[in-house]
Amino acid sequence: MSPALKKTLATLAIAVLSIFSLLPFYIMTIMGTYQNEDLFTKIVLVPGSYLLENLKTVAASRFDLVYLNSLIVSLSSTVLSVFVSACAGFAFAKHEFKHKNKIFSFVLLTMMIPGQLGIVAYVIEMRYLQLSGTLLPLILPWVANAFGVYWMTQFIRSAVPTEVLESAKIDGCSDIGIFFRMVIPFIYPAITTLSLLVFLWSWNNYLLPLIIINKPELYTIPLGITSLGDAYRTDLAAQILGLTLGTLPVLVLFAFGSKSFIRGLTAGSVKG
Amino acid sequence: MSIMNAAKKRWVPYAFLSPYLLFYLAFGLFPIVFSFYVSLTSWDGIGDKTFVGLDNYKFLFNPDSYFFKSVGNTLLFVVLTLPVQIALGLVIATLLYSRWVKWRGLFQLINFLPYIVTPVAVGLMFNLLFDWQAGFVNKVLLKLGLVDEGIYWLGEPLYARMVIVLMLIWKGFGYTMVFYLAGLANVPKDLHEAAQVDGASGLRTFFSITLPLLKPVTVFIVITGIIGGFQLLEEPMLLLTGSGMGSSVAVIGGPERCCLTTVWNMYDTAYGSTTRYGLGAAIAYGLCVIIAVFSFVGARFYRGDSE
Repeated sequence: MSPALKKTLATLAIAVLSIFSLLPFYIMTIMGTYQNEDLFTKIVLVPGSYLLENLKTVAASRFDLVYLNSLIVSLSSTVLSVFVSACAGFAFAKHEFKHKNKIFSFVLLTMMIPGQLGIVAYVIEMRYLQLSGTLLPLILPWVANAFGVYWMTQFIRSAVPTEVLESAKIDGCSDIGIFFRMVIPFIYPAITTLSLLVFLWSWNNYLLPLIIINKPELYTIPLGITSLGDAYRTDLAAQILGLTLGTLPVLVLFAFGSKSFIRGLTAGSVKG
Repeated sequence: MSIMNAAKKRWVPYAFLSPYLLFYLAFGLFPIVFSFYVSLTSWDGIGDKTFVGLDNYKFLFNPDSYFFKSVGNTLLFVVLTLPVQIALGLVIATLLYSRWVKWRGLFQLINFLPYIVTPVAVGLMFNLLFDWQAGFVNKVLLKLGLVDEGIYWLGEPLYARMVIVLMLIWKGFGYTMVFYLAGLANVPKDLHEAAQVDGASGLRTFFSITLPLLKPVTVFIVITGIIGGFQLLEEPMLLLTGSGMGSSVAVIGGPERCCLTTVWNMYDTAYGSTTRYGLGAAIAYGLCVIIAVFSFVGARFYRGDSE
């Protein structure tokens, strides 16, 4: 095969698969621009003219509040999780202390435990602490993130040169100073990748809010999308538009971040 | 290795470690231990707890708990989707990495999109696409004259399972693709060049050099795929109950509960059609044991294989 033919064939193969990936999104987006009645009668392939009307219907359901809740939850979870993981990773990667290996094995073990294991008692705990009327129960589980600790430990171990830390120490730099000024700048790729992952996981989280959140003013996006169905049981088009709007932020985030996301994965721990 | 060997301040590593440990103890470990206690009781969350010993665990073996049925369903979905996701992800990653493909970054992003979309939205999306009346799929099939009347996709056990498998493959191959792309970037280039000099064909090089070197990535994908697969909930739930989530008891688990996953079963037992917290906690522990067994066997298999 000539190189030119190879190129064409390979690009064609990927293009076909990409259509498979995109088609459901495309149909959804298009469906959101039609009037409800049309969805039952026509096959819709090109954008319709009912987008603004559907937008009004969605806006009337205070979807902006749902958005805000999701942003608060996901941003706080991401910041806290990445910071706490980096601290623990620094301790494991560059310090010696008693029972270090045992504690690290324990962290690895907890990585294997499904998040649902403690959920029944977690809900009771949140009720007992009188936090179930707030967004905090959706943030707290992400703070101690075993995957994040493992990720950061691996990355700091390989990316941060110990000599640099030692000479900073000799120059009289405090431990906290070393962490912020010497460690953090070396691990930006790991921070980006972990941030994107935690943001994605918490943005998409459904089971926990479904069980804990019972006030509509605290709904996050996944709950908001499903409740759009309750409010407009007859208005499929508005619901579909809400669906599209709810997935938009993560799409945008990864559209801009996917390159550094993959770079971070490559530099990170998948080496085995 | 350590910057603290010479220092006297032994508390420093513990200070860096303590936020993680404290949060894990309070909101990770404590609920897990307390859940085990709840699993030994009969409790509806409001009244008094009654200690019942291992009764909840015994009940898991009773078909009325749907525990093993739901484990079987979940396992079926993992077995049918994971190999396809791995194969597709590997092929796409290899093609993208080969530099024969134009617009690499764009295709990479497009094929990763299904993975990052909210699972709830994925379930609803496929619910609408495969709707009996308004669904895109039926309308196209009717238009092309392939069927005389719309297929009741979500009402027949076999069809419902087919839609779920299709949906999970669609959603998951971008995830495997991304990890294989990262793995391929770590395969030394000179190995390929050496193979080419020796006259090995592209396919031969792929199977005897690239694939073995990607083994750690494959193991990682298989293990996380099993763990993630066993936690399957939103996609089938929203696919089969639609947006009126949980409003109708008749559709729990889909037709004949053929698509009831283990986590869905737990949710429904503790917070859905019944409020049996004790049994719900027991289902969660049962699930954890099963995941542990599979991870252990998987790790053993991997270790035995590499020696």
